[in-house]
Amino acid sequence: MSFLSLLVNEPGRSVLMTGNEAVARGAIEAGIGYASSYPGSPTAEILGNLGRLAGDYHFYAEWSVNEKVALEGAAAASFAGLRSICIMKPNGVNVALDSLASISQSGIKAGLVLVVGDDPAGHSSTNEEDSRYLEKLAHMPILEPSTPREAKEMTLAAFELSEKIKLPVALRCVTRVCHASGNVTVGEIAGVNRKPAIGKNERFITVKFLHALQEAKLNQVRRMADAWPFNRYAGPENAKTLVITAGASFMYAREAVKELGLEGEVGILKLGISWPLPEKTLLGRLKTAEKAVFIEEVEPFIEENVMHLAAQHMMDLYPLQFYGQKSGHVAGPSGPGIGEMNPEIVAMALAAVCGVNYSPPPGCDESVKKLVPKVPQRDLAFCAGCPHRASFWAVKSALALDGRDGVVLGDIGCYTMGVGRTGFNLLQTVHAMGSGVGMACGLGKLADYGFNQPVVAMVGDSTFYHAAIPALVNARYNKSSFLLVVLDNETTAMTGHQPHPGMGKNAMGEEVVRMPVESVAEGLGIPVSVHDPYDVEGTTELVFHLLQSEGTKVLVLRRACALIAAKGTKKPRVYVDQELCIGDSCGCNRFCNQTFSCTANIWDVKNNKAVIDEVVCNRCQVCVSLCPRGAIKVEGGEQIG
Amino acid sequence: MAEPSVHNIIVTGVGGQGNVLASQIIATAAVNSGYFVSVGETFGASQRGGSVMSHIRISREEAYGPLIPRGKATMIVGFEPLETLRTLIPYGNKETGVIMNLRSNYPLSVLVGEDTYPEIEKIKEAIAANSRFLVALEATELAVAAGVPVGTNMVMTGAFAGAGVLPIPPETYEGVIAGLFGGELLELNLAAFRAGLKAIAADQDLAGQRR
Amino acid sequence: MSRKKGSLDLKQEVMDSGACANCGLCAGLCPYIKAAGERVALVHPCGLEEGNCYRLCPRTSTDWEQMDKRVFGRERVDHVLGNHREIVFARSLQMDAAEKGQYGGVVSALAAFLLEQGRVSGAVLAGGPAGEAPRAVVATNRDEVLACAGSRYSASPTLSAVHRAVKEGINSLAVVGRPCQVLALRKMQGLEDGPGYPPAVDKVEFVIGLFCFWSLETGIYDLLNRKAGGQRILKVDIPQDFLTITTASGSANIPVDEVRPLIRPACRLCFDPTSEFADVSVGSTEYDPRWNTLIVRSAKGKEIVDAARARGIIETRAYPEERLPLLYQAVRNKKLRVLQALESGQGAGYLQLTGQYREALQRERGMNQ
Repeated sequence: MSFLSLLVNEPGRSVLMTGNEAVARGAIEAGIGYASSYPGSPTAEILGNLGRLAGDYHFYAEWSVNEKVALEGAAAASFAGLRSICIMKPNGVNVALDSLASISQSGIKAGLVLVVGDDPAGHSSTNEEDSRYLEKLAHMPILEPSTPREAKEMTLAAFELSEKIKLPVALRCVTRVCHASGNVTVGEIAGVNRKPAIGKNERFITVKFLHALQEAKLNQVRRMADAWPFNRYAGPENAKTLVITAGASFMYAREAVKELGLEGEVGILKLGISWPLPEKTLLGRLKTAEKAVFIEEVEPFIEENVMHLAAQHMMDLYPLQFYGQKSGHVAGPSGPGIGEMNPEIVAMALAAVCGVNYSPPPGCDESVKKLVPKVPQRDLAFCAGCPHRASFWAVKSALALDGRDGVVLGDIGCYTMGVGRTGFNLLQTVHAMGSGVGMACGLGKLADYGFNQPVVAMVGDSTFYHAAIPALVNARYNKSSFLLVVLDNETTAMTGHQPHPGMGKNAMGEEVVRMPVESVAEGLGIPVSVHDPYDVEGTTELVFHLLQSEGTKVLVLRRACALIAAKGTKKPRVYVDQELCIGDSCGCNRFCNQTFSCTANIWDVKNNKAVIDEVVCNRCQVCVSLCPRGAIKVEGGEQIG
Repeated sequence: MAEPSVHNIIVTGVGGQGNVLASQIIATAAVNSGYFVSVGETFGASQRGGSVMSHIRISREEAYGPLIPRGKATMIVGFEPLETLRTLIPYGNKETGVIMNLRSNYPLSVLVGEDTYPEIEKIKEAIAANSRFLVALEATELAVAAGVPVGTNMVMTGAFAGAGVLPIPPETYEGVIAGLFGGELLELNLAAFRAGLKAIAADQDLAGQRR
Repeated sequence: MSRKKGSLDLKQEVMDSGACANCGLCAGLCPYIKAAGERVALVHPCGLEEGNCYRLCPRTSTDWEQMDKRVFGRERVDHVLGNHREIVFARSLQMDAAEKGQYGGVVSALAAFLLEQGRVSGAVLAGGPAGEAPRAVVATNRDEVLACAGSRYSASPTLSAVHRAVKEGINSLAVVGRPCQVLALRKMQGLEDGPGYPPAVDKVEFVIGLFCFWSLETGIYDLLNRKAGGQRILKVDIPQDFLTITTASGSANIPVDEVRPLIRPACRLCFDPTSEFADVSVGSTEYDPRWNTLIVRSAKGKEIVDAARARGIIETRAYPEERLPLLYQAVRNKKLRVLQALESGQGAGYLQLTGQYREALQRERGMNQ
């Protein structure tokens, strides 16, 4: 398991791997020469692992500044003859799409595999996006593994396919593959011995006449798709009801059919390639079926394409009926095309289609209610000691003091949680990486037209490098007036603490030059201040002060992520002197607990006083400075700050 | 009793409690014992105080999907009382075994006073009434006593290993742990694991109800 | 009986209505009200319906005559200048205080004297460079006091420093403040003991009040710095009809009419230009720039002034006969103007006055004119 499983060099041995580890292992077995990514859940761990192994297996790995640059680097390595892998989440595909569409048209040389980790239900995303539409737009074959085991094997096969047809290939995984673990049979790690070079006469140029070639390549894949070894059919021959599925949904479909006892009636066709479709295979099964049921995540991609195919063969398939998201039969609690699949949703859909009775077990809700009437929800919150909580409180305070209804524009990272209670509901917009800064550019130009509210954009350090810099250039160029607050916790925290250009470390653990945010801002000629957000009062005053003047300004609030800071230091104990605590009376009213609401500032119901949950506390000591009565104290250890 | 065709084990808790690691240890011990194993988990929000669940499916016959269907958990290992109950409601049944840490972690809505945290005794009662057995232990305190305040997950893993749900000896788990840590850290984590083993062995309720 | 009131009422009645005098005493009383620059704001509702912030605000309901009884133990005879034991000209005998200070340097001299005598362990004053909005300073020695010398013309919420000083362990304080600030401190001292009782209540030992007929909004600093042409401003003064700024290369005059639009609207509702509830009040003489006007009000004020005189810290002389009516006239005119404004419904009725008081104020007008 974990990192260690990637090192196992006993071909044929079954080890436990996550889907992400399996993809990394597959890439190493395929002999990659280049790997690049920008961290995004659910695929962040792939490059994390590859970075650690790059030295051992002699390939290059980098955390790129954003997905577009990541893809361009990987494409270049392919042009030079190195197998390369580029990893991102769907939002990254949005960012990289311009390059992706062009690279796909110009064609490539060595295998180029784009791993995209879709996140149905948005477990660790702000949005829910089905990247397959974009991959199709970019004329890429789309491969969909169902398990970690397939993820490894398909990674290997993807390189073969890409190299054969000279197109980048998408390996579309979902969270339940990336973050799932399962038995993976490891293979041989091939020694790579390729010397990268670009021949004098080789050209990789995007020109429109290559569109025809691009289509021809896809047609070539279309013909190969029927032989794609990861397509699988299980069930009776000539099944009247045919489930068409791909990815993790296949596992749910299989379990649901079993649960309903329909193994003898329902056939399951699992597509290992969802674009271009394996048309002969599909038509062969559909000809004998009366009902086709589509089970996929998130949107009806396969469903639409198969229905389109079926329309071309209408006479052969009549009177086939289609069931899926379009018909409303396959739908989670929020409706068709929204959220994840699971065994119950599939079972309910199949039961309805096949006319059998099924309802999911009701659970023990009713019985529990008698004893525990309400099980409170657990909202996401900044970790105990998170510098963002202090930063948000300071910005909120400064805006209240300013009194002109300042607008706060949010961005993508841990601090996106600032839309919620943990960030005092401060953020008024959240969109894509860096987009808060671009939007600030716009609002910051409206003063002449009557917009008299100050504008604050809040962005994380990694997001700053990713996408905020062009917006900042724009702001300076076009004289936009706003304050950019960079919440610099010295890491890419949200996705698991990956390094970024401000940290002086790269993906392979090498020491590299630091490019602090303030240097970038200074280089653009923008006034910049740096402050410690743990000094809440000082930060409040500074933000207030910065709001009083015109122009583009940058404030870097720098303090290491509490989870990293808590490691390795001898922690002083933070505790409440309940003699001094005034609890819920005037002058406080449970400020640390009810208002600032650090998760370590809990309430001692018995004494009606505050208390620190010392198991949760990360010893940041911010509450020590905020307590109006000096009732929160520090004992021993190294003082932070 | 014959071994079921699939063990559906849910490790549940709050982000930051280390349940991903616990689930990986249990799953690896099972793979190393020749089982097919699937684990489903999300860890995007794992450090942000949200509810976190790992579904572990262990079978002699075939690989199952990464999600345990509602009502099909055979075992729930709960690192936090409220999360244990939250998981039991949809996933448990009268045959589900439950091992639960008694240490509460308060949701934001409780901190801000919008909700109240249910009484622990009521939670225990509700779980006991809707499961085959409940073993409740002070895992966090045991971890602190073993010298690893963050070792709640190891104590709970030990308690699970000792509950005899899987025919896998504690040494197999210890072997997995030995592959993860070295030196003093290994000793501390093994101490926490063994504290969990010992606590579960001493549990009279479990001894009476084990089948 | 009206409902008990708290921070949300304070926000609505005082902060949002523009009546806030910027004394700063509510800021820092709890973590929900903050001050920065010259702004005071409720940053988050505290969740309680009633609060000390409302009770101690100088712009919430205040019974003027009750305040006399509580602070001085007696009703006032003088309805214009309030309770007093002496009205004199005074000046510091110590050169540094006299030079650095405005006019006679009496405020700095007395504050430093209180510290040196150990009567207090800290003094809250307004400090910072002359060409900027003042900031709160907690001085603990003579040098720190003298660094704050010189008049300020905008209304900084410096009293928030009172709570900060107490939290940092200073257990007896002298406070130098504007009339609104003096009133806030006295209202605070009238709070009932109980949970949430501000620790600062028992820590304010001596209050030096300033004369203040109005203060200016922070826009004044932009104006001043423009007039100073980029040079550092060393001193600001309003001797007569001009506002004078002094820089290294000389001084410049700005007509008062140019400054008048920057007067804080809240100051137009202030009934107390002479800090009537202070232990001593200090102002200019409008006559001789080497001297201050000193009004000794409380017994404690008298004791300290006597001691300072005895030790040669300050000297005093009789208030010139012919000047006194001018002082009365200026103060009375201001009070009558404000009464009229308040009676027309401005200021949400913060001032509670009996009919007798009003009559006396009118009557004394005739007497002293």
